[in-house]
Amino acid sequence: MPQAKITPNGAVAFALMLIGATMATGKHGLSIVAVLGIAFATLEVRAGTVTALKRSLVLVLPLAAFMLLVWVVIVGRAPADIAAGSVGSRDTALLYVALICTRLFLVVFLIQLIVACFANSTPLRFIGALRVPMTVKRLLMFTLSLVETFRHAIDRAYTALIACGLISRRRSVRNFVNGWVLVQTVWLTAITIVLGRLRDKWPIEDTLGLLDHALRPTARSLSCRDLVWLPIAVVATIAAVAAR
Amino acid sequence: MLTTPRLIAIALCAALNFSIGSIVYLIKLPIYLDSIGTILCAVLLYPDRRAAFICAWISGALSLLLSGLLINPFVPWFELTDVAIALFSAFVIATGAETFRARPIRPVAFTTTILLFGISLGVIAALVSAPIVVYLFGGVTGSGSAFVVAFFLKTGQQLLSAAILSGLTAEPIDKTLQVLVAALLFRATPNDFIVMLRTSYDLAAGKDNT
Repeated sequence: MPQAKITPNGAVAFALMLIGATMATGKHGLSIVAVLGIAFATLEVRAGTVTALKRSLVLVLPLAAFMLLVWVVIVGRAPADIAAGSVGSRDTALLYVALICTRLFLVVFLIQLIVACFANSTPLRFIGALRVPMTVKRLLMFTLSLVETFRHAIDRAYTALIACGLISRRRSVRNFVNGWVLVQTVWLTAITIVLGRLRDKWPIEDTLGLLDHALRPTARSLSCRDLVWLPIAVVATIAAVAAR
Repeated sequence: MLTTPRLIAIALCAALNFSIGSIVYLIKLPIYLDSIGTILCAVLLYPDRRAAFICAWISGALSLLLSGLLINPFVPWFELTDVAIALFSAFVIATGAETFRARPIRPVAFTTTILLFGISLGVIAALVSAPIVVYLFGGVTGSGSAFVVAFFLKTGQQLLSAAILSGLTAEPIDKTLQVLVAALLFRATPNDFIVMLRTSYDLAAGKDNT
């Protein structure tokens, strides 16, 4: 994996601009965004591009299949045909689905490229390097941490409810009837863990002070690489929107 | 306004939105269940309506961002619906906080409040979401409600009316369920946590600064 030379700030700004262009443009503009995305992947991400491509396909292919089912099989007409009141055809519907799915694929691919670009870094370092208010950084870190807490809470609640016979490992009516108890138990478990941290653990260990220290940016906001990619992204965005 | 306990509540509610919303999205049910945390966050912070709105809105936005990054690239574009849900939750649904938490539960008042707030929220969400669905995605997104839109299109409806009718069919049921789950989770939340959220609890000093 190559060392990421673009900074998190530059990468996020680059991705946001291109995602905006992707949503605002038509098929000609999409090709401009795609070319720039490929150039970015080749020069900045390199080997990580394969992983980004795989992940994007995993996310978008089921969506594409679903939209094919709805638009081509069930509706059988494109939105433009419906709006014009014409009979339409499955071919135009297929073209429409292809355009929407290409757009979504580009959005997901750009995000995955940024993820791959910083695959060697940790979420803490990535968020710490961002030039955003400390409250936003704290919130992002809490959310990532609480997603893990939720996972633990689900494991604990699931095991406890199986042990007391309220739910079963297999599919059963009991699971359906007592599913709500599981949701409530997960919520209570998470709240109890959080209360313990807020009242005792964090003040004693000075967790927030340490977190703030860790989240303070040390490196420069933008690197030379950013100053190359960002103007290109601005030009590409304007060209893509104009090509609409 | 954004004290540490409130930041934690926002993150918890965002995680709740994300986890339940993702499950429902992946099994393509014609409902969403992705705003339970947003509603709950507003109710937890009531009666400070401004804080309730801002925290509920942030939790919704955060979960949309997470879902958009990890599961469904459609959802971040529904940010306006999230704002509408947070507004309605903070200024209307949260007024039912006492009814939701009354012990013993008052069945008639509880049921009436849930139905009234759920259906109203559903109608608002449907009206706000329909133009986004139509103008950004041509009428169909990746959720299960696309089948309902497809059904209305097959019956000869125009795109916008099909999206609105689909929303008005699915959203009131979906939002009533969401208000119900949020109210029940609010009933189950320990009082200590709610007190911590509703006061300016200073974690560093370990005391209440109100």
